[in-house]
Amino acid sequence: MTKLDFIMTLHKKLSDLPQEEVEERLRFYTEMIEDRMEEGIPEEEAVAAVGSVDEIAAQIQAEVSAVKTQKEPNKKQRKGGQIALLILGSPLWVPLLIAAFAVGLSLYVSLWSVIISFWAAFGSMVACGVAGLVASIGMALGGDPMSSLALAGASAVCLGLAIFLFFGCKALTDATVRLTAKLFQRRKKEEAK
Amino acid sequence: MDIQLKRGLLDVCVLAAIKDEASYGYKIIKDLNPYVALSESTLYTILKRLEAANMLTVRTAEHGGRLRKYYRITPEGSKRIEEFKEEWNEILAIYRFVTKEGSDYDKA
Repeated sequence: MTKLDFIMTLHKKLSDLPQEEVEERLRFYTEMIEDRMEEGIPEEEAVAAVGSVDEIAAQIQAEVSAVKTQKEPNKKQRKGGQIALLILGSPLWVPLLIAAFAVGLSLYVSLWSVIISFWAAFGSMVACGVAGLVASIGMALGGDPMSSLALAGASAVCLGLAIFLFFGCKALTDATVRLTAKLFQRRKKEEAK
Repeated sequence: MDIQLKRGLLDVCVLAAIKDEASYGYKIIKDLNPYVALSESTLYTILKRLEAANMLTVRTAEHGGRLRKYYRITPEGSKRIEEFKEEWNEILAIYRFVTKEGSDYDKA
């Protein structure tokens, strides 16, 4: 094998290693070959004396990858660091988390109070309507057909509004119940993990 | 020779080869050849190790139209040679003890 063959073969075998390390070692071996040739040793013999290409390539591969693994950061150390940061930062994110939860809770409670007031309105509409109707009958019987009619009309309007309110309240309530169910399902799923 | 023993000796051998004057790779191998066979790859590792331990310095110089690396010993390297000599005085004493013919307690 010629000197050039030697170098090129090693280059090819070690092409996927960090080239700086490989170059340094190749320069060393080349120097040794050239020194022997200077002494009068024929090229082929000088190359052979330095060692077998396969053995040298295997050796360089082993040595260079040993250097590489030392430099890689420890993954376990990194995760431990992340956990430490989480604990150290807890005075920050724990109160924030509590505040966010409190805001969410108060929003939910307000939603229900709105629904309750709508239902209350519905209730009062029904009550007014019924009371008005009863009163109008009383008025009719008492001999005041005009007022009776007027009151009856007003009561009918109230009852009509009550019906609309009923459907609205029901829709709102159903929607909120479904939303609550979804939230609880998600929490149960997280707990089940 | 026992391989562990050899490994410890080779570092000092290389230092001894450069203790009087700076030398280069092939010359070191030639100088040590009567005493111990040294391959190029082994020498490379030893030179790297000694350089990392500050026991030698490396200098590139031009020679015959090409570049050659010269290795020169440092004070730390010289100190290592002295330590080696002292270690071996102790080993010699042990050697004499081990090979001593007949011991006093045999005589009953």
